[in-house]
Amino acid sequence: MQKIEINLTVNQRSYELKVKPNKRLLDVLRNDLNFTGVKEGCGIGECGACTVIMDGEIVNSCMVLAGQARDSEIITVEDLESENGLHPIQKAFIDAGAVQCGFCTPGMILSTLNLLKENSNPTRSEIKDGLEGNFCRCTGYKQIIDAVELAAEMMRD
Amino acid sequence: MVILLQEFNFLQPENYREALNLLNEYHGKSKIIAGGTDLIVDLRKEKYTDLKYLIDISKLDELEYIKEDGEYIKIGSYTNHKSITKSDLVNKYAKILTLGCSEIGSPQIRNRGTIGGNIITGSPCADSVTPLVALNAIIVIESKEQKREVPIEEFYEGPYRPKIKANELLKEVYFKKLDNSYQGDFIKVKRRNAVSKARINIAALGKIDQAGKVFDIRLAPGSITPKPQRFKSVEELVKGREPDNEIIEKMGQKVAEIMIDKSGYRWSTEYKRPVIRDLTKRILKTVLEVE
Repeated sequence: MQKIEINLTVNQRSYELKVKPNKRLLDVLRNDLNFTGVKEGCGIGECGACTVIMDGEIVNSCMVLAGQARDSEIITVEDLESENGLHPIQKAFIDAGAVQCGFCTPGMILSTLNLLKENSNPTRSEIKDGLEGNFCRCTGYKQIIDAVELAAEMMRD
Repeated sequence: MVILLQEFNFLQPENYREALNLLNEYHGKSKIIAGGTDLIVDLRKEKYTDLKYLIDISKLDELEYIKEDGEYIKIGSYTNHKSITKSDLVNKYAKILTLGCSEIGSPQIRNRGTIGGNIITGSPCADSVTPLVALNAIIVIESKEQKREVPIEEFYEGPYRPKIKANELLKEVYFKKLDNSYQGDFIKVKRRNAVSKARINIAALGKIDQAGKVFDIRLAPGSITPKPQRFKSVEELVKGREPDNEIIEKMGQKVAEIMIDKSGYRWSTEYKRPVIRDLTKRILKTVLEVE
């Protein structure tokens, strides 16, 4: 098994890496680059805990091989906080009590970010569709949907 | 904890021709990876004992398109489900495929999973395949030496067993555009609303002529037979006739009988028999415009 070289940009910073080809994007982000906001849940593309934004679209990073992420631009939850503090979506999740154990939160927030990019004023049903690939095993879904509504409101203002 | 996938060498061809050459060179020792949403799960299970090389087609723009070509719509194999659900062409000329693809997995899966992958995996419950069967889709397969076309209905030997050789690549799927005199629908029954495989799905198309008789009817139930297929003997019951509730009732019963003939009496039959009967009736009422 020959190692492969990949270039990728994570949170606006570019990296050059030499990795085993059987690593997933998830492994590269968490273990090689220490972006531990990316969580491994089910590992089979169902739970969405490993969600990142890849070239503008949300993906399960456990379902992308490291080599397939070559030359792509990745956004993880670590990118959201700026000098001005937390991102409105992060604030909304805290204010709405949408974080219990917190394991699903980074994935939920990234799915929310992309949902609100496409639809700045989603209905509760559209929010459920937008977040359908993210599971919360504490089952705090109501608060999460409230948080997305709150974030949408904050971002429109 | 790091979960490792089975070992392989990773090849990333620059273009489609090179992908075919690599497949030919590493015949029997290689597999294609597209969106990876099925394959990576299998790599965790170390399912492929002869696998030495993965050939990645995810950077090949040549395989990513939805285009109109005369009376046909052609879709490249590396086109993801999200692109299909957002496509005006598909929505206009083959709405049942829009409906099917929008039911697959989750937004994350639809952003990566491809129509080619869904066809090649060959799950009997694949939500893009049932509509493609109703659309009489043709798939285009190519190796270094030759190119062939197969109707999708003839492409499977059984569940998860597509008839494709180790040196062949699925290039495209295409089907005839439907004019707006066709009614179509797709229904999926699932255990929960999100990220769910179909327990049963069904796609149907119908066209009624000027005299109110059935000019065309295509009925494709999924997950109830080992391979996807139109139920032509059921379609015949209503073809050329004026559709009514009595015929539709008979058709629903017949679909359930055929399911048991083809799949045997299984643990799920008690459940699936009334459900497929009623789904068939419901979809036929829609596509044949019966009150």
